[in-house]
Amino acid sequence: MNNWLLTPALLAASGGMVSLRGVDIAIVTIYFVMVLGIGFYLKKYTTSGEDFFLAGREMTAWVAGLSFVSANLGALELLGWAGNAYQYGILAAHWYWVGAIPAMLFLGIVMMPFYYISKTHSVPGYLQLRFGRPTSALSAVTFAVMTILMSGVNMYAMAVVMQVVVGWDFNFSIWVSSLTVGVYVALGGLFSAIFNEVLQFFLIWFGALLIPVLGLVEAGGWSGVVARIHQNFPDQEFTHMWRPMENFADNPMGVHWVAIVFGLGAVLSMGYWTTDFLVVQRVIAAKNIRSAKMAPVIGAFFKMAVPFIVIFPGLLGRAVLPFHLVAQSAATAGQHSYDEVLPLMLARYCGPGLLGLGITALIAGFMSGMAGNVSAFATVWTYDLYRPFIKKDASDAHYVSMGRWCTIIGLVISIGAAYIVTRFGSLMDYVQALFSFFIAPLFGTVLLGMLWKRMTGAGAFWGLLAGTVSSIAMFTMVELDPSKVTLFAFYPQAKPLAQDMWRALWSWIICVAVTVVVTALTKPRTDAELTGLVYGATELPSEGEFPIVKRPIFWAGLCFAVFLILQWIFW
Amino acid sequence: MESQPKGDRSGGGGRKVAAAVVDPGHREHHIIPVWFFIGVQLLIYGVLIFASGLLEFSHPPDTVLANLHAPVWWGALLIVIGGIYVYLFRPGRK
Repeated sequence: MNNWLLTPALLAASGGMVSLRGVDIAIVTIYFVMVLGIGFYLKKYTTSGEDFFLAGREMTAWVAGLSFVSANLGALELLGWAGNAYQYGILAAHWYWVGAIPAMLFLGIVMMPFYYISKTHSVPGYLQLRFGRPTSALSAVTFAVMTILMSGVNMYAMAVVMQVVVGWDFNFSIWVSSLTVGVYVALGGLFSAIFNEVLQFFLIWFGALLIPVLGLVEAGGWSGVVARIHQNFPDQEFTHMWRPMENFADNPMGVHWVAIVFGLGAVLSMGYWTTDFLVVQRVIAAKNIRSAKMAPVIGAFFKMAVPFIVIFPGLLGRAVLPFHLVAQSAATAGQHSYDEVLPLMLARYCGPGLLGLGITALIAGFMSGMAGNVSAFATVWTYDLYRPFIKKDASDAHYVSMGRWCTIIGLVISIGAAYIVTRFGSLMDYVQALFSFFIAPLFGTVLLGMLWKRMTGAGAFWGLLAGTVSSIAMFTMVELDPSKVTLFAFYPQAKPLAQDMWRALWSWIICVAVTVVVTALTKPRTDAELTGLVYGATELPSEGEFPIVKRPIFWAGLCFAVFLILQWIFW
Repeated sequence: MESQPKGDRSGGGGRKVAAAVVDPGHREHHIIPVWFFIGVQLLIYGVLIFASGLLEFSHPPDTVLANLHAPVWWGALLIVIGGIYVYLFRPGRK
């Protein structure tokens, strides 16, 4: 997804794209002081397992909602998608709209009641309640490994970006960021992680919002942006979202609308937003079921606005930059790559002070990405692996202590992973791909588990395994022989993003098919055993006593209507 | 100390769950709201950015649209929003 990560040679670069003044350094330093201060402040409130791993289950809908969307709004995301927007045009906004909004609303309205009512501590925890230990263990192991690797990748990415953008030393960035994250998460657990994610949300918006605002002024509004792009890049389509997707060859991504709607919208994004514990954990921490349902809906409204600070700057780059950006692999001395578009736009409009705020937003994004990963890792390791398989009957204090220690250990492993990536840049590609292997099939397992009473534990386990193995097989097949991509993506020039969507769709279908067949051959559990876990065996609390404007379903409907209007505007 | 989080279940045994969505034994912390910390940070940043914006009148930066003096009004906006958050969510306010 992100070319920053594929180029360890960048580490040899000297100096940075921008130079920070005293006021910028002060702004960055204050951020570090603030997050550490919050960690120390929250330590005294983090005394039980519920505090450390679930933030006391007392987050309001707003805090849980902003944290939910912020956990996904890392700096890697900002830089990578701004670069993708420059490369592919407004098509990239699909990952924020059809690739997020329906899934977030689905989580809030349909799935959240089961996560919340079952009182589970995690997604693997839900799988254990619903299907038993084998499925839960499979999910927990893969999640723990991938999460900690992703944390290392985040660390590596931050160090590279900071070196390229501001000229900071690679080792300095790695150690300062990981020590800071380690201290505040180990002290305050999920409390700290959520507080800092909400803080980061504000910093990212205030740090990045000036770019589109000033860009619109410079280009003369949206019509001016479109006119300039057409003038700079005649005969290329960068400003429509759906129109160029009737044929594979009509858009720069080589993708068909079927893959966007079904692969991205119906499977990949559903899998990520509804079963990736990194984001779901934030909502499980809500103080009651109505807050838990409202949190993803609130998050969806803000997610819908994110393209304004991420995708739009990429498009602005096409409109106003006096030079053209190129793919990282094709960049020569003096040229900039697609992924540098956001820092370039930042440097274009922001002088001292504002520049520091923008850089702080990037650092905050990276650090909260690491914190999110290690806090989710600590929970899954402690409750889904350590407790059931290693030490069953320890005290709550013991598990809190384990959570603190594995936060530190997880970060140390992440640092190791970050240094491994510096030697083997392509490892980053594989780590991201590995992560995606589990998401789409897991969505099939969890969705069927919540909606289909008949489904059995054996069906869940073999379906999840078959979906995961098929996804890995498709990826490996293309790695060995790129021409095989047509077997599942139907187009020889399908870009990796397009391949991801098709692979997700197929692995989900395989997971569901195997699950259905194995379930038909095995004995189901009784309704009494499934109370609180499945539709049809669970009495969902009524919201009838609330006025319509206080019901999550009302706001979800409104959000979906806005989402449809946006599709129509940028069709 | 209990051995597992409140409401957590290690097995799949059935029970009446719908009424138990609010844990009656739940203890609530009285933590300073996160909005207060955000307010403090925005307020400090607002002051710094506003001040650097004022300096730009005598030392204009080499940026596009520097004539709009974005740091001045952006810093002022941060001060206002940060100030409101600090006031509304200050510790001890009922």
